[in-house]
This record gives sequence, C-alpha cells and structure tokens, in this order.
Amino acid sequence: MGTAPEWLIDLSVTPPPAARLVGGKAANLSRLGRAGFNVAPGFCFTVEAYERFVREAKLDELLRMELQRKPLEAMRWEELWDTALRIRSAFVGCSFPITLSETVEHALNRYAAPAGWAVRSSAPGEDSHAASFAGLHESVLPVHGTAAVLNGIRTVWASLWSDAALLYRRELGLDPGESRMAVLLQPVIDGRPSGVAFGCDPRTGDAGRIIVEAVPGRCADLVDGAVDPDHWTLDKRTGATLSQRSGNRNSEGAAGALLLSPAQLDAIRSALSEVEARFGWIPDVEWTWHQDALLLLQARPVTMPPSDPADQRPWYRSLKPSPARLKRLARRVTEQLIPELAAECDRLAAESLDRYPNTELAHAIRARRAAVDRWKDVYRQDFIPFAHGVRQFGVYYNDLVRPDDPFAFVILLGGENFLARQRDDALCGLARRVAERGALADALDQLLRDPGSIDRESFTQRIGRLPGGPAFLDAFDELCREHFDIAHEGVRLAERPEAILHTILERARMPRARSLATEVADRERYFLDAAGPARREEARALLDLARLSWRLRDDDNILIGRLESQWIRAVEAGAERLRRKERLTGTFAFSAELADRVADALQDPSLAVNVPPTVAPPADPGHRATTARQLVGQPAAPGLAAAAARRIRDSADLLQFQAGEVLVCDAVQPTMTHLVPLAAAIVERRGGMLIHGAIIARELGIPCVNGVDRAMQQIRDGDWVTVDGYLGIVTLGHAEFDLEVGRPARRQDG
Amino acid sequence: MNVPDEPVLGTDTSSSQEPIGEEQDVAGNISRLLGSQPFGVLCTQGWGQPYGAVVAFAYDSGLSALAFCTPTATRKFRLLEESSRVALVIDSRSLHPDDMMKVEAVTVTGNALRLAESEARREWAQRIVQRHGYLRQFLQAPSTALFRIDAFRYFYVSRFQEVTQWVPPRSG
Repeated sequence: MGTAPEWLIDLSVTPPPAARLVGGKAANLSRLGRAGFNVAPGFCFTVEAYERFVREAKLDELLRMELQRKPLEAMRWEELWDTALRIRSAFVGCSFPITLSETVEHALNRYAAPAGWAVRSSAPGEDSHAASFAGLHESVLPVHGTAAVLNGIRTVWASLWSDAALLYRRELGLDPGESRMAVLLQPVIDGRPSGVAFGCDPRTGDAGRIIVEAVPGRCADLVDGAVDPDHWTLDKRTGATLSQRSGNRNSEGAAGALLLSPAQLDAIRSALSEVEARFGWIPDVEWTWHQDALLLLQARPVTMPPSDPADQRPWYRSLKPSPARLKRLARRVTEQLIPELAAECDRLAAESLDRYPNTELAHAIRARRAAVDRWKDVYRQDFIPFAHGVRQFGVYYNDLVRPDDPFAFVILLGGENFLARQRDDALCGLARRVAERGALADALDQLLRDPGSIDRESFTQRIGRLPGGPAFLDAFDELCREHFDIAHEGVRLAERPEAILHTILERARMPRARSLATEVADRERYFLDAAGPARREEARALLDLARLSWRLRDDDNILIGRLESQWIRAVEAGAERLRRKERLTGTFAFSAELADRVADALQDPSLAVNVPPTVAPPADPGHRATTARQLVGQPAAPGLAAAAARRIRDSADLLQFQAGEVLVCDAVQPTMTHLVPLAAAIVERRGGMLIHGAIIARELGIPCVNGVDRAMQQIRDGDWVTVDGYLGIVTLGHAEFDLEVGRPARRQDG
Repeated sequence: MNVPDEPVLGTDTSSSQEPIGEEQDVAGNISRLLGSQPFGVLCTQGWGQPYGAVVAFAYDSGLSALAFCTPTATRKFRLLEESSRVALVIDSRSLHPDDMMKVEAVTVTGNALRLAESEARREWAQRIVQRHGYLRQFLQAPSTALFRIDAFRYFYVSRFQEVTQWVPPRSG
C-alpha cells in the first residue's frame, strides 16, 4: 500500500480485498467466493477511483456547497431529494479521467457479458454487521458497452448522496470530505428463478425461521416490487415448510405453481446456514438459479426494521414506486379514487343541511370529519406515492437530455385540464369581461372599498344594481360555486366573495400572461428526439405518466379542499343554530376541535359552546437591532424581481394581495394558486423544486425562491424585497447607507 | 429530524403550528468571530479612490467601537484625514481555505476618530496591547496614530450568502 492507487480489483484475488477499499458488498462476495460458495464473478472499481474522479471533476466543492446550503436537519425530504438530483446531474455530467476509463475498458474485456453488465454500489461500512442499509444506493443493470458502464459507474457513485442516503446521513456518517463509494462490476447472470432469502424472519427477528421469496425472472424485479413473489417460511433446523404462498402474477406461471422445488429450497437453506456458521452473522442474500445450481449474487447481515414508530424515514424511502407499480397506481387513482372523491364532494355539496334535525346535523358534521380524515389517509397511501411519477420522469429526462438545469423538465408537466387551470381560466375570463367594461370595473372597485359590502347578501344585492351587474353576478356566482367552494386555512373561499372579486379586479388590470406553448412543444420534441426511435414510445409513456401524476397531485389537493369546505359548511350551519339559541358565544373561527364541540352541543341540549377570543400575535416591535438583509433558499424558478412584500397567512390576506407584489407565504397551496399570476415574485418557507409554487412560477416565468426558513418571520408586509430566482437569494431593503450618512432610519420599503 | 409530511394539506386537523424560528444570536456570532481573528481589512477612501489595508484591531465588549493604530506616514492615514467614514472586514477564511460555506465574515461600517493623548487613548491602547502585545512599543511612538471606529452597524455573513444586519446599541 501507499504506492500506486488500486483502482480495480478482481473479486477472485487472494487474499480477499479490504472492505475499506472495495466496500462491504464486494468484500463479502469476495470472501464468499474464497470460502467456496458459488458466486457471480466480477471485479471492483475501488474507492480510490471514486476519489480520483471526484477530485479531478472538483465535485468535492460542489458537494460541500450543496450539503451545507442549509443545515441538513432543517431540510424537508423534498429538499433532500432535490439536492440529490442536483448532485446526480453533476456526477453524470462530468467526464471520466482517461486513465480511469481505460482501466474500466480493459477490465470489461476480461469477462464475457452476453447479458450485459451489472453496476452495483459497494460503500465501505454499508454492509457491515453493525450497519446494513440495503437499498440506499443505486444499482444499474443491465448495461451494454463501455460508455454505458461508465455512465452506470457515475450514477452509482452519485447515489452515495442519494435522497435515501441523505436521510440516514448520521447513521452513515456521510461527509463530503470522508465518504467514498466503490463500484461492483459483474456480468449479468441470466438465471431463473431468482429471489431473496433471510436467515431469520426479518419482521420479527425469529431466528428459528428462514424466509425465501422467488420471482420467475431477475432478482431486481422482486427488489423493485414489480413482480409479486412466491413466499416460503421454513423451519431453520429441519427445513420443514411452515407456510407457502404463490405470488399474484398474471403472465408468468399458472397460479399455484410454485417456482422452487423442495430440493432448491433446501439448497438455499443450507447456503444460509453455512454463511451464518462461517461468517458469524445471520445473512440476507440475493440469489439466482443458474446452470442448475444456486448462485449467490450478494450477501449481507440481516437488518431489522426500525423500532421507532415516529421515524418517518422508512415511509419516505418507500416513495419510489417501480414503473409497474406506478402504472397500477395511476389506474387506481384516476379510475377509482379521484372519481370517488369528486363524487363524495358533489354528494355532500348537494345535501340540504337545513332540513336536518340537530342530531342528524351533528352526525353529518362527524361523518364529514371522518371523510376528510379518511381521504387524507388515502392521500398519504396512494396520492403521494403516485406523485412520484414526476420524479421518476425527471431522472429519466435528465439521463436522456443531460440539461444544464436538472429541473428543466418541469416545464413539460403543465396541462390544460387541471382543476386549478380551469379555475384560473374562468377567473381570467371574468377579469377580461370586467376589463372591457371600465364603468363596471370602477363600480366594483368602489364597492370593494366600502366595508359595508362584506356581508354576502348585501354584496350580491349591490352588484346586482350596477350597470352590467346582473350578468356579471351570474358568472361570478357560477365561478364561486364551481371553483371556490374550497377551504383555505379553515375558511370557505366561496363565503369570501370580496376576496375573489378583489383577485378578479387585480387580474383585470394585468396584461395577458405569456404563453409557453411553443417552448413546451420545442422541449417535448427535443426530448422525444433524444430518446430516438427505439425508446420513443417508452419516453412518451413516461411523460404522459408524469403529466398525469402532476395533474392529479394538484387536483387531489383541490378536491380535499372541497371536501373540507363541506365539513366547514356543516359546522357553520350547526354553529348558527346554536348561536340563535344563544348556546354559542364568541366569534366562530373554524377548527377541528370547535367542530367536535358544535356536534356535541347539537346532540346534547345541556351543552353550550363558548369560543374564546383568538390571541392576537405579538405586535411588530418596529425597530429591531437585528434584521435580515439576505436570506438564502432554493432557486426554484429563474428570474429577478423587486417589489413590496405581502405575506399570505390566512384567507383574510388573500384580499390584501395586490398585483405586482412579492408573494411571501409558508407554502403556495393549490387553493391559492390563482394569486400567483398576480405576483412579481414568490418566496416560500417550504422548500422543493417540485412543489406547487415552484412549478407554477416556472410556468409563468415568475422568479421564485423557496426553502427560506424564516421568511414569514423576517419579511414584513411592505418590505422592499429583491428575489433572485437564479441564485436562490432574497434581499431585504435597498443597498443604502442611511445610517452612515446620518439620514433618519427608514423601513426596508421602497 | 425536521422532515414534515410532504404536501401541505389545507385545514390541519392536528392544529399543530410551525415553531417560530429562534432569533439568531447575531451579536454573539459577531463577537465570537472578532475574538477569533486578530486582523481585519480596513477600507478607506479619498480622492475618489477606495483603499484597503490589513490592521490589527481591538474592540469593546458591547461592540460599539473598535480600534487600530497606524503610522502617520501611511497612505491609509492620509485617507483617514480625507474621510473618516470607513469599513472594516473581518473573516475566518484562513480557517476554512477549502470550504466557502464555513467561512464567516463581518463588515462593520463606522466613523474613525483619531484619539489624541487622553484617558480614552490610554484605554484603547491597553485593549490593543492586550490582543497584540508586540504593538506596545509601536503604540508609544509619536508617529503612531490610534483610531477608534464608532460602529454604525455590522453585516454578518455566513453560509456564503446569508446576511444579517446588526446595529449595536448607541453608547452615550
């Protein structure tokens, strides 16, 4: 050691290479081979090759910038995913040092690989007995030819910094200055069946049992969840089958015809026992049946599922549906869940609550809450995983097109048939009608300035008396009914017509939004051309799936907002009844807790509801010794704009938002996206390149910086804010020297 | 671990609230940085020309003033006579030459006032000597001028681009 770097080591070398040089997976395989087990041949591209690549491409600097841009602990999972994608794009976009690529090329010639090559991660410490984190890093297979193998190596190296790995960074001790990744290169073994096996029951830790799963084709199909496997539980000592079931597969193999014979099961059981006896740990192996013999693809110590139920990380890790599962989800979401949700919203909206006696109204309130809770569970179980169609497409697009901007694909996601787009079109149509009639616009504007118009009924009457008012009112009512019967921060927007009217008038003052149609068409053509004839259909299908995934991600939020609106409607009706009977005092402000109390009081005449006054937030102290001048977030949509800031905290703020202001909020929700076209720029606390605010801002060409942790605390209404969507920087105030030249201190406004 | 649920879902039935971020202890960070760095770059101006020079500095515990000394035959002394408005840049780049994200910097703006023989001069000379013992003789030379910078405000920069302004309380 200490002489020439060891870039490439054959797995059959004696003595087996050290794990710190080749990683846990490769070291284990080499030791298994040496111990006489039948393992796939191959070689390992060592951590020293990784170091050389990273150093020459200056990726270590990029890693430091990316991983310290914000404390990792403060990053949401989506931001981790974005970070991982940026790192991945940087790795994949760097060229290989010639000495390394020649080494790989030379090595590939040593083995025949008719079925292509498998490029697998092998991180030091990854598969040790103490810490086994299966599936955090990528494997790429099968790949054919040197160029594809080199690509695969870069992709696997980048996966040292995958979103999943970043979630477990503490356990892995991830450090840009220290962490390394080796890569295992093996000819793909086209064995069948293939599967996994555990030397204990990994769900319970029962060491007296062995678990075996098998699929007809490659093991990757099982690991991806693409194919439902056959499953056996065996007695470890005797080999007796304790349970077995065949996988639910439509195409290959008749139902009930198990993939493994008793002799094959016994061979797997023996191998597990031998590994355990020889190495001292209970193994988790991937295997395949090749040339009438069991062949081990990899072996590592079994890991038990985390015992902390509060740990959300396994759930985030599960958000990577395989293409097959994504397709199944797409069908379930589009054909079953969304129609069911929409139908439930319509049914509840049609219910006439006035006719219900108190007990039934109480029941309706509880049933609606239960419906909201139920659909939020569906949201977590089905809608969010389906939203990952967008992410899958993003990775595919970047691998194919290699754009400078790893989020360039976002512009392809928009479409005409979004519920939010329909709402926006309707709102714009009405805004245009108002713009064409100056007198009506002036009258509506005047009406909004008059505080007496807040009441829904008088509001309607007064619009009706304006010239052109009745026709406008019909269209306005339809807009409210069809598109704004949704809840935003506990308030039904349809009950705040003045806020909707305010937005219409602001939109009427704005020039027409730019059209992206040509740009989208050009980019789509470029993408499909890059796919080439062989992959064109696949590329088109993934794009369609991504668009569907994005549309439903928007629609499902709006539909749940509609469902919540119906819950609030029932609670408001109940509260009004109680108020008339003087059994409810205080100002009604919707909350889940108040909803339950209203339902209880409706059922039990002895109960009354007293709503305590809401505690006003502490007043702004005015002058502060410490003020933020530059806040850093993610550059979520490019562009540069400066304007006065307006924070959106609740539905009352929707009324205040003026065209040309910078929209500052916790997160742009689908229930408020109609404000976005009015904004000069967007600043969000919540970070992510694929969240609603970011994608809409990109579509509209509005600069957006998100992931600004203390945006809502540090920016005040009226502050002059410069939003740099290229760099992800928000600057507060002007670059002045008032204090230095003795000018009186001023607020940071324009 | 702060990884909340993925998209935001309108009404929150759990009625949980995002905790309000703690106000950064910017003054503490500035004080720590000043304590760790003996030198800063003094920025002066005159005749339409900016100029920068490394100086050894001292500061008071309230961060309302800093001080440095210079021979009177220097360019920076001439410029200070021309304009008393200065900036002093103090940073930790020497600690992290390969990691910009870890570098902290402070730019303090202020008014530089030459202290003639007085109690104030003795007090500030003492502060400078405490931090820079090798300047004892230097400070006693008749050709050395001692300047106190009364700080207007501090710009504290961390993580490459995060900038926070801090205005020290006025003394007197």
